[in-house]
Amino acid sequence: MNPLSDKIEPKDYKSDVKPVWCPGCGDFGVLNAITKALASLRLAPEQVALISGIGCSSRVPAYTNVYGFHGIHGRALALGAGLKAARPDLHIVVAGGDGDGFSIGGNHFLHACRRNMDMTYIVMDNEVYGMTKGQASPTTAPDWTESELTPSGTHARPFQPAAIALAAGATFIARAFSGKPNTLAQMVVLAMQHPGFAFIQVLSPCPTFRPEQKEWKNIVRPFAVDALPTSDPALAALHCQRDDGMSTGVIYVEARPVWKRSDMQEIAIDDIEQEFRI
Amino acid sequence: MTNPQEIATKAEFLAHAFALEQESVDRYEELADAMDTHNNLEVAGLFRKMAEFGRKHAVEVERLAAGSDLPTLEPWDFKWADDEGPETGDYADIDYMMTPVQALQFALANEKRSRDFYGLVASHSPNQTVRELAGEFTQEEAEHVTLLERWIARHDSDTTIADDLDPPNIVD
Ligand SMILES: Cc1ncc(C[n+]2csc(CCOP(=O)(O)OP(=O)(O)O)c2C)c(N)n1
Ligand code: SF4
Ligand SMILES: [Mg+2]
Repeated sequence: MNPLSDKIEPKDYKSDVKPVWCPGCGDFGVLNAITKALASLRLAPEQVALISGIGCSSRVPAYTNVYGFHGIHGRALALGAGLKAARPDLHIVVAGGDGDGFSIGGNHFLHACRRNMDMTYIVMDNEVYGMTKGQASPTTAPDWTESELTPSGTHARPFQPAAIALAAGATFIARAFSGKPNTLAQMVVLAMQHPGFAFIQVLSPCPTFRPEQKEWKNIVRPFAVDALPTSDPALAALHCQRDDGMSTGVIYVEARPVWKRSDMQEIAIDDIEQEFRI
Repeated sequence: MTNPQEIATKAEFLAHAFALEQESVDRYEELADAMDTHNNLEVAGLFRKMAEFGRKHAVEVERLAAGSDLPTLEPWDFKWADDEGPETGDYADIDYMMTPVQALQFALANEKRSRDFYGLVASHSPNQTVRELAGEFTQEEAEHVTLLERWIARHDSDTTIADDLDPPNIVD
């Protein structure tokens, strides 16, 4: 609590568990941005659920004191969707890595964009599988040769998170940099206030397996176009395609009906068990 | 990019000064914990010491603000010279094997940014009281800069990071 204003402070949303991330990991900046956003939104911890998959980045729920679910690899969005259906009153934030979200979880990503449930998805993109010691991910450049699994590169076109989210139907799309937690915090606030599926790709360096990403702080810059954010998908697509992937800002915002739970019959656990009885 | 020069009331100024110190404490503590976890105990100790200094300064600001109603500013509303607070440093300058002198250089860069921030307010704020107060804070930060420069000069100036004989980034 801030002694001068009685305002909940970002650190009031941190748990007692200390991050095991490598010092200098970009994910620290994302954790700080999330806690700053929650403080700005003045949400009580029990109003928010932070859901993740597996990876270094996916450890983030343990480091906050909101409801958390450290799920299974690639299934964070499915868990988040299930929880939103069961508890529509909760603010759902799903977070994880580029491997978790675009590789094993790629299919869930497409359909979460399409479905437009009211939740926020933050992907900490370091263009590598950090947790499993540095293999190429879908966003890795084709000529990256540092992994023993791909000694001459992947030769595969990198996945374009923003463009794919747009094509799949996400209604809020943004790109940010973990080295700017204040800017990212504002983006998280906008995403959480957006009614529908909000996707933020955060460029989040992995200094351990991609030390060259320490240079990102000198490369990232805001989109140099006044036209963004736009609600015109063609214009958003144009800027996504023209960009080198290092411009940051909110790209696309669309008002579209949000997925709502249809009147579901409440089923008692006993009745469900009955159905499975042999 | 925002403008420290536009800070125009004492309450707004103190809200910035308090946030500057509090963010500094939070960041140094986070860095110290990370260094502890990665067994760089000497640098962890230095970062903890810096957090302690920040805590003391925050108390000073609190004392100055007693009785006044400070505005509640969101992280992106602050008029820092950059998007981030002057004493939060840059994650890209952090390494689990960093030497004490590198940690002090990190702290020095923070203190210089604070001094420059207060300096801008001191020379440009439209409010005389704010200019005077910011002038005092500039002076104080300039003293921290000198102190850190002295510490750095006393330390072994080795800034090469030692080889880790069991590095995390090799495939077993
Ligand atoms: C079903 C399954 N397959 C594979 C793994 C191994 N695995 C753990 S984390 C990970 C990739 C993590 O990469 P990313 O999501 O980018 O997270 P980062 O560590 O880079 O933050 C993989 C393949 C697993 N835990 N479960
Ligand atoms: S391996 Fe990379 S992604 Fe994982 S904690 Fe370390 S720096 Fe972060
Ligand atoms: Mg990754």
